Formats: sequence, C-alpha cells, structure tokens
Amino acid sequence: MGSVLALSSGPGHQNWPFSTDRPPSRWDAHPAHWDSPPRWERRDGRLPNPGSFHSLHRSCKDVFPQQIEGVKMILNKTLSSFFKISHALHLSAVSPSYYRFHVEHLQSDDYSKDKDAPALIGEMDSSGSLNAHALLHLTERVRARTVFQTQQSQFVTWQFETEYRGNDFTAAVTVANPDVLRESVILVAHFLQSVSSGLVLGGELVYHRGRAEEGGILTLAGQYSRPNWVATLNAGKGGAHASYYHRANKQIQVGVEFEASTRTQETTTSFGYQMELPEANMVFRGMINSRCIIGGVLEKRLTPLPATLIMGAFVNHRGDKLQVGLGINVG
Amino acid sequence: MLLADSFTGCWLISKVCYSLKSMGSVLAASSPSPAPAAAGGSQGVSGLVSVPPGFSMPSVSSVPPTSGSGADADSTLPNPGTYEECHRKCKEVFPLQMDGVRLVVNKGLSNHFQVCHTVTLSTLGESGYRFGSTYVGSKQIGPAESFPVMVGDMDNTGSLNAQIIHQLTSTVRSKIAMQTQQHKFVNWQCDMECRGEDFTSAVTLGNPDVLVGSGILVGHYLQSITPALALGGELVYHNRPGEEGAVTSLLGRYTGDNYVATLTLGGAGAHATYYHKANDQLQIGVEFEASTRMQETSTSLGYQLDVPKANLLFKGTVDSNWMVGATLEKKLLPLPLTLALGALLNHRKNKFQCGFGVTIG
Repeated sequence: MGSVLALSSGPGHQNWPFSTDRPPSRWDAHPAHWDSPPRWERRDGRLPNPGSFHSLHRSCKDVFPQQIEGVKMILNKTLSSFFKISHALHLSAVSPSYYRFHVEHLQSDDYSKDKDAPALIGEMDSSGSLNAHALLHLTERVRARTVFQTQQSQFVTWQFETEYRGNDFTAAVTVANPDVLRESVILVAHFLQSVSSGLVLGGELVYHRGRAEEGGILTLAGQYSRPNWVATLNAGKGGAHASYYHRANKQIQVGVEFEASTRTQETTTSFGYQMELPEANMVFRGMINSRCIIGGVLEKRLTPLPATLIMGAFVNHRGDKLQVGLGINVG
Repeated sequence: MLLADSFTGCWLISKVCYSLKSMGSVLAASSPSPAPAAAGGSQGVSGLVSVPPGFSMPSVSSVPPTSGSGADADSTLPNPGTYEECHRKCKEVFPLQMDGVRLVVNKGLSNHFQVCHTVTLSTLGESGYRFGSTYVGSKQIGPAESFPVMVGDMDNTGSLNAQIIHQLTSTVRSKIAMQTQQHKFVNWQCDMECRGEDFTSAVTLGNPDVLVGSGILVGHYLQSITPALALGGELVYHNRPGEEGAVTSLLGRYTGDNYVATLTLGGAGAHATYYHKANDQLQIGVEFEASTRMQETSTSLGYQLDVPKANLLFKGTVDSNWMVGATLEKKLLPLPLTLALGALLNHRKNKFQCGFGVTIG
C-alpha cells in the first residue's frame, strides 16, 4: 500500500525546503536504481527510458551535504494518504528568521518508491513568499509541470514545462518567465536518447530573448552507467559540468563533481561522500571543495521517537568563516 | 576604563581560583566532570580571563550546613566559605553561550596530572587550539583537597594562563596567577586567604608594578553571624601615578533549607541573587544586577533541569534584555562522550547564535 508515509521516512533530505531550486521531484530519481531493477527496463531487451534531463547529475549531487545554518525545526504531519503538510521554523544568524508552511497533495493514491506521482505542492513563507509546483500526468507519456515563485509580492519565476517520455527517449520543452509586456522569454528544449543499455546521449538548447538582446546556448550531455558507478558530462559554450558517482558498498557512496563556467570564468571541483550506518540510524555526508570549503552533516534518527536530529558545520578556510546548523525533524 | 577593566579582571581570576581550592584528585574531578565547566573553559569573559579548560568546577557546597554539625550546635558557627563563592550557586544554574563548534578532549595521565586539548571553530570570535594541563600535588589536606595545584593553559596565539595554589598552613592558603595576551602580561596577582573557625579573610595584590608605581589591593572579609546568615565586606584600593581611589561593598548571604539569597551592595552598584532547589531535578536561579557606572539594570531567570536517567542536563534562561537561551547536554553512554547543543536568541537586536560541542573524556 503506497502511502505518503513512505515519502517522509527518508533521511532528512527531502524535508529541506526548496529555497535553493526545484524541489526533490519524484520525477528526478535516477532510472537505474541500485537496489531494484531499473524502472523502465523491459524484458524484451529494448532500451530503457533515460529519465529527465534534470536528473542526470542527481545521484552525484545527493551525496553532497546540504548547507545548513542556524536552528531549524520541521514538523511533518500526514493528514491522509493524499495530503501531507509540514511546518518549518528557522532561526538563523545570517538571514532573517522565518516560518514556512508546506503542503503536498498527491493526485493519485498509488504512490510507491518506483512510481512517479503527480502532485500539487505549495509553500508559503512568513514574509509572504510563495512557492507553488504542479506536476501533472496528462497522458501516460506526457507530463506537465508548472512552477510559480514569488519573493514577497513580486513574481520571480513562472515556468511551464511539458515532457514526453518515449520508449527510449525523453523530450521536454520549457517556457520560463514569458513576459508579454517586456517582450522577454526563456525557452529551453531538452532531448535525451538511450543509445545503449548504459549510455545516454542528449542535449539542451536554451534560447533567451529580452528587449535588447537574444541568444541561444547549446549544451551536449552524455551519461554512462554501470551497476556501481555513473559518469555524466555536460559540455557547451556556457561551460562544462562533469560528475562521477560511485557506490563502494552498501554503506559508502562517493561523488566527484567538476564545474566550469565561461560566464564567471572559474572552475570548482568538489569531492563528497556519504556514509550510512543503518544499525546506528545515522547518515553522515561530508564534502571538500577546491574553494577551500569543508563541510559535514550528520543525521541521526532518534528512535523510538519519530524524530531526526541533524547537525552540520561548513568551514570556508579561505574566508575563515564558519556556519553551524542544528535541525530537528519531527514526524 | 583600563583600571576598571583590570580590577574586573582580578575579580574574575580570583573567582576562578577560589573554585580550584576544593578540587580533589585530578582523576576524580575529570570523570563525571560536569561538561558545562569544561565547555565554558575557553569562553573568555570579556576576553581577559577564562577558566582553564578541562578543569571542572566540582559541585562545591559553599552553603554551610544550617543545623549545627556537632554536639555544641549553639556555640559553633560554620565557616562561611569564600567571598567569591557567595553568588556562585546561582550563577551555575545559567547556561553558557555557545557559538560555533568545540571539541574538547580530556585525558588523565595519572592521579596527579591531567591534560586537555580544545579545538574551537567560532563564527563570531577567533578559532584556535588550546592546550591545558593541571597538576595536583600530594599534600592531602582533606578527602577532596590536595595541594599544591598548578593549572596552566596555552593558546595557539601564545596567550598563557597560569595559576598556582598552595596551602601554606592549616588555615592559610595562597595563590599566584598570571595571564598573558600573546606576549604581553595582562594580569599578575597574588593572594592570601585565611580561614578561621567562623570567618574568612583574604588579601589580594593585583598587578603590582614597581616601576610605574601602580597596583590594586583588595581585602575581603566574611563572617558567620548565625548558622544561616553571613555578612561581609570588600575593599578595593587602586593606586596609579596621578590617581588613587577605593571602592567598598558589603555582602550579606542568607541560607535556608533549600534556598540561598545573596545581596551585594556597593559603590559600583548592587547585585542580588536567589537560588532555589525545588527538587532533585529542578534548580532555579534569579539574578538582579544594577550598575551605577553603566546606569542600567538587568534581571535574569535561569533554571536547570537534571534528568540523570536520560543522562540529560538542560539549562534555560530568560533575560530582561529580551534574551532567551538554552543549553542541552547529553552523555552518550557507553562512549565517554558528552554532546552539548546551545542556542541564544536576542529578540531586541534580532540576533541569533547557536553552537554545539563534543567533550571526550
């Protein structure tokens, strides 16, 4: 029986609010899931669907600890198998403190770890900022996503995405911030094709148009997966992004990431690892950066209470700055 | 003002050192050491003084027994303890401000010798490493007191704190303390304390400088009037080329069955504390301070909740400066590990700070 409770029992990751960027969407899990056969693999030997473009680097990114600061308390409450809410209170030393209310409504009851489920997600801040996502399954192969983000009273993002999942390819078109009055729009087109059982190739075309300028950027992407590791590369005029994910054993996962940007003219290399100790109900994520940033986050489930304690610290040796965070997730 | 700060510094050093006097054998002090003292070790108060880390302040009962301890209860008054310890019981209830990450490793090398390593990563102040060591001699005075006691600690910037305490005769105890900030000597003082049957008197000579001709002289006297009431006074005389002055204050302390009320009145202001032990788990303290120099008053309420079954110690405080703070300490048995989490929120200035620390050993 799939239920929303399955969602909330994962380690604190999904509960961190999506103030950074898009939420940990259920669409974005890696198609080759290590503990169970890939979702779209077919017995007749045909190639699997490669998943969505956003999830190419996700397995490596999940290994890295999330930046944590101040004290955060999150209370999750499941009202029914469709409906889940959470209250988050954040006391911070560097940014203003806030209270955030988050609500998720699933459109269907048949959620399980392997299936995507359409949902409506909304989040409201104590300062009035709103974050709304709608994920819909229009047909079996066509999905639509709408995102609205406001910063207090001003709209920051409004985008509409349509994705078509074929047998062995995925194509998506996104319209971001279309503004008729200012005559500006950003159009993004993604295409991913499974070339062989481990290799996925694809590309992304970004076209942006404003009143004074317009331009397009093409990025090519490739991903090669084996049972224990995944290597991904995005390369284009805007820069390059390469990531390598390796699962050493059931407990240790390692990720290396390299990013280069032509716009800011700098490169960053990061190394991260994740250690899971299920007997001690503990997950530890650590990372070290070429920007001299070292961070670690420890999550511990406090059985028998339905609570998770999160402690983390990030040190920037170059600027000699330290950020310390404590969090508790209840429910 | 520099002078005011320097004799405040003296206070703080002497407050620290009088607590050293009842430290028992080093290992006994270190094993179930209350982590707050160790954690508060490197929290320099006004940057001048810090309790040497790894140095635990054992639960000294400065409250004399109210009922007579011997057969001749009417005629024997108990020794009232030292002047500095009168406000201590209330102050120990309040949580320490925690900021950043702290790792403390205490190691007992023998019955006499203990060392402590502290690594601090701080968001507001300086990050650094501190090494502290404590030596307890073999002249045993009582079941929990051995002398001489030598405590020293050194910072990674070169700042040094050193104290030597020794029992000269059965009633006279002496202490020498020095403190440097990198290479400059900031505090150097010597004091002598005499404990009579029902009184305590102490003389402290702080920062005596023969070349400049300056120094601070402090005299304390505390007398038990009745088994519950103790009265005393303090006289501070400071001398510098060009100015000299004296400040006096009076102290009164009343001890009940489960409470202690203390009041200090003087030229520099008033300080009143009330400590109440509700039961084995809950202790409450209320503190009122008024300063004539800064022309302001503040009141704080603090409580301490001790749950030994869960190995938990929780301290909370609310202040009239709109500050709310709390500290949680938990012993993670079976490891000799103590985890401390703390946060402080200043509503008036809308500032927040939090920190956590791990103490090993």
